[in-house]
Amino acid sequence: MNIFWISVGSGIAVAAILALSSVAFTLEYAVSRVVNLAHGEILTIGAYSAYVGENNFHQNLYVCALIATVFGAIAAMALNFSLIERFRNQKPLSTLIATLGASLILQNVVLIGFGGASVSYSFAQGNILHVGPFLWTILTIKVMVSTVVVAVLIYLLLQKTRLGKALRAISQNRELAQVSGIPARQVVMQTWAVAGAISGFAGFLYGETIGTITPTVGNGFLLLSITAAVGGGLGRPYPTLGGAVVLGLVMSIASTYTSSAYQLVIAFGFLVIMLLVKPNGLFVRGRTNTVRA
Amino acid sequence: MSKNPLLEIDDISKTFGGVVAVDRCSMTVREGTVIGLIGPNGAGKSSVIDLVTGFEHPDSGSVRFDGTELIGLRPDVISRMGIIRTFQTPREWRDLSVIDNVRIGRSNLARESLFRSLVFARGMRRDEANETDEIRGILKDYRLDDLRNSRAINLSGGQKRLLEFARIAAARPRLTILDEPMGGVNPVLGERIGEAIRDLKRAGSTVIVVEHNLPFIERTCDEVVVMDLGSVIAQGAFNELRDNARVVDAYLGNDDG
Amino acid sequence: MIQYWTAILTEAAIFGVLALGIDMIWGWAGDFDLSAYAYFALGVYVTMILTIGKPSAPVEYVLGWHLPYLLAVLISVVVVVAFASLVGAVALRSLRDVYFSITTLGAVWAIYYLVENFTPLFNGYNGLSGLVDPMGGGLSYNAYHYLFFGFCLLVLLLVYLLVMRLSRSPFGRMVRAVRDDERAAAVYGRNVFWTKYRTYLTGAALAGLSGSLFAAYIGAFNPLDWRPTEIFVLYAAILVGGRGNPRGVVLGSFIVYVGFVELTRYIPSPSARPELGPALRQILIGLLIILMMKFRPGGLIPERLGNDGSQERRSLGRLLSRSRSSARDERAPTPLPVESADS
Repeated sequence: MNIFWISVGSGIAVAAILALSSVAFTLEYAVSRVVNLAHGEILTIGAYSAYVGENNFHQNLYVCALIATVFGAIAAMALNFSLIERFRNQKPLSTLIATLGASLILQNVVLIGFGGASVSYSFAQGNILHVGPFLWTILTIKVMVSTVVVAVLIYLLLQKTRLGKALRAISQNRELAQVSGIPARQVVMQTWAVAGAISGFAGFLYGETIGTITPTVGNGFLLLSITAAVGGGLGRPYPTLGGAVVLGLVMSIASTYTSSAYQLVIAFGFLVIMLLVKPNGLFVRGRTNTVRA
Repeated sequence: MSKNPLLEIDDISKTFGGVVAVDRCSMTVREGTVIGLIGPNGAGKSSVIDLVTGFEHPDSGSVRFDGTELIGLRPDVISRMGIIRTFQTPREWRDLSVIDNVRIGRSNLARESLFRSLVFARGMRRDEANETDEIRGILKDYRLDDLRNSRAINLSGGQKRLLEFARIAAARPRLTILDEPMGGVNPVLGERIGEAIRDLKRAGSTVIVVEHNLPFIERTCDEVVVMDLGSVIAQGAFNELRDNARVVDAYLGNDDG
Repeated sequence: MIQYWTAILTEAAIFGVLALGIDMIWGWAGDFDLSAYAYFALGVYVTMILTIGKPSAPVEYVLGWHLPYLLAVLISVVVVVAFASLVGAVALRSLRDVYFSITTLGAVWAIYYLVENFTPLFNGYNGLSGLVDPMGGGLSYNAYHYLFFGFCLLVLLLVYLLVMRLSRSPFGRMVRAVRDDERAAAVYGRNVFWTKYRTYLTGAALAGLSGSLFAAYIGAFNPLDWRPTEIFVLYAAILVGGRGNPRGVVLGSFIVYVGFVELTRYIPSPSARPELGPALRQILIGLLIILMMKFRPGGLIPERLGNDGSQERRSLGRLLSRSRSSARDERAPTPLPVESADS
């Protein structure tokens, strides 16, 4: 059995979750022009609400997934209502700083509620399967299948629904969209709900994959999500998806050769290279010869 | 008044994502003149300014200022050669005082050295104090002297326009490029801006004015350049161009008349 | 009691130096930097490995020299600035604003995980221990700490005076102009990158210096002592005191630092829940940051406007009253009347 392929196989699972988290992050940016540093905490809230659900609902995987999704959505809507909308007329940087404060608050509320020690899910991992060169458990396969399903749902939402159209209009120009009759406030709120649902679900999947969660579980994922989004194209869902896949593969391949503790270091290297070589994003064709003073 | 070519724009082109903004545009600006740059919306006037001042790089062509090639230089380098431009909306350093906004127009860059600011602070304060009378003179010219110690953000729109001219007056550029200085300006203030442009000329600056207000151009400019679809279609005195069929067709005929 | 206050005020003075550095980067230049705490930590580490001597197994770290303290401080600051010049070059290069914050956020975590996991450098997770003694030994514990407190105050005063001088100089004015409008600054011949870069490196140097001071105050230092999130305390201090105003920043660091240490004494901290106190403290800092950003972005003593010199220096009382009035006109910009032109 080739250790390289096993490692890549587990990397794919994490990359799939990363893709969901990054797309949610990028949707938040698309409608609110905010780099949401409290994004990781929405994942954390999803992961912990599923943990509570697991203890109360007899370890039903699907019920827990639903709970994580709902609580993620509620958390994101609350964040949008209580903070992001209130900083809407300020500079993007001010909003970023405010979300940083929110991240600090939410993370420590979870810490007080559940303690600093890690807690673990007790879902059965299931049998180990050989799929081509990869080695996956049933649970990992469920995780990957569900990310694909969610990705397809996001695609349908963006392309086929009125919300998707309105969302794209707002991400171009909120004022203009509002003038042309789109209820911007509601659409933004709905987008946050969707992004929060995706994030909560992603937090649950991540906890499921690694088995244990701590109050900083989402925060560790934040930087990866930002890197994927910036690398692919901030505020653009499909390029972000591409960025997440590339970053996930780069990290999993690289961490077969070094310790997994260096994952964030590798991610940062990836971010730096992206910013230097293609600051507008890997999958965005645009004006790259524009000089900024 | 010398009539040497100060700015020579030679065959520059620029495409933005497939849309041709500037198409083999050429023009010559002689030293000491006030040039009006006119043309319908989307004719590429602002793009030409961006290309000349280094905020965009052209796909091809060259721009020479007093014989020196500008293409490839950064905006700040171009500025230090003596070119100051404005943008369509007035830009002020919002949290600086009005007098500091004008001081930045004047102050020489050597004074802003980190090392000198630390070590020769007293000497520099003296230099600045010596300049204060002159700066306040400029502020008085633009009726901003009473407001000199308030935050620039608190000025009204018209006052921000005047602040921009005060800053240019302090900077004493060789070439001034004004992008729609009359935008959103009432007629009374417009008179004052026309005056400011004549002052600039008197002080020795060559001026390029992009403007839609044709009576204003007629009063203020020595010569007019007409652009359409990214290139120059005519250049000459305002009265001659009035009868130019291409100009009338492109601009005068279907706009202000 | 007096020992307790000496300890708190020493730390507040050290963090005052750090806050002044961070404020140059954020307050003056407008770049919200998240990696400054790594520069502080680097200052601590480098000062320690230059002064505490060779490691004995299983502890491992590089160098392990026995240099005089002041020389070690100098070298640490140089090392920190050299390091920051790399991060700054990337973060300030083309896309700035939120991208700058993203890059520095990535940098600080990358550095953190590198230091924590790569043991040959600074002994990784377990960190360094050893006394950095600027006075060369021979003093009692108390005498050392009183003397060191005086030394820190002196350094803070010196740094404050230099920063204040820089803040009022043409350099400080230019940095703020670049902050307010980069394009307009470029139109007037200012090199935006170079301006921000110099400010960034100066701020990083102060962060390194404060780290060097901290190295002589503590006996051991490991990654748990510099979680990158600790930087938010400093941002809270800057926001409370007055962003962009060195006087406000020093005031803010003392208020927030002393305030939080004192407050934490009254927070119940049962031994079964050791995380409770620190967590409540972090929540308070988060709240403070949000509320200040929303309602009082100028802080207690807002940034001082450069004027024509006709206004005389103020006493503290008048200064406070002025800060109130200028905070008011920041909130409600009253449009000034356009007068009729008659020239």
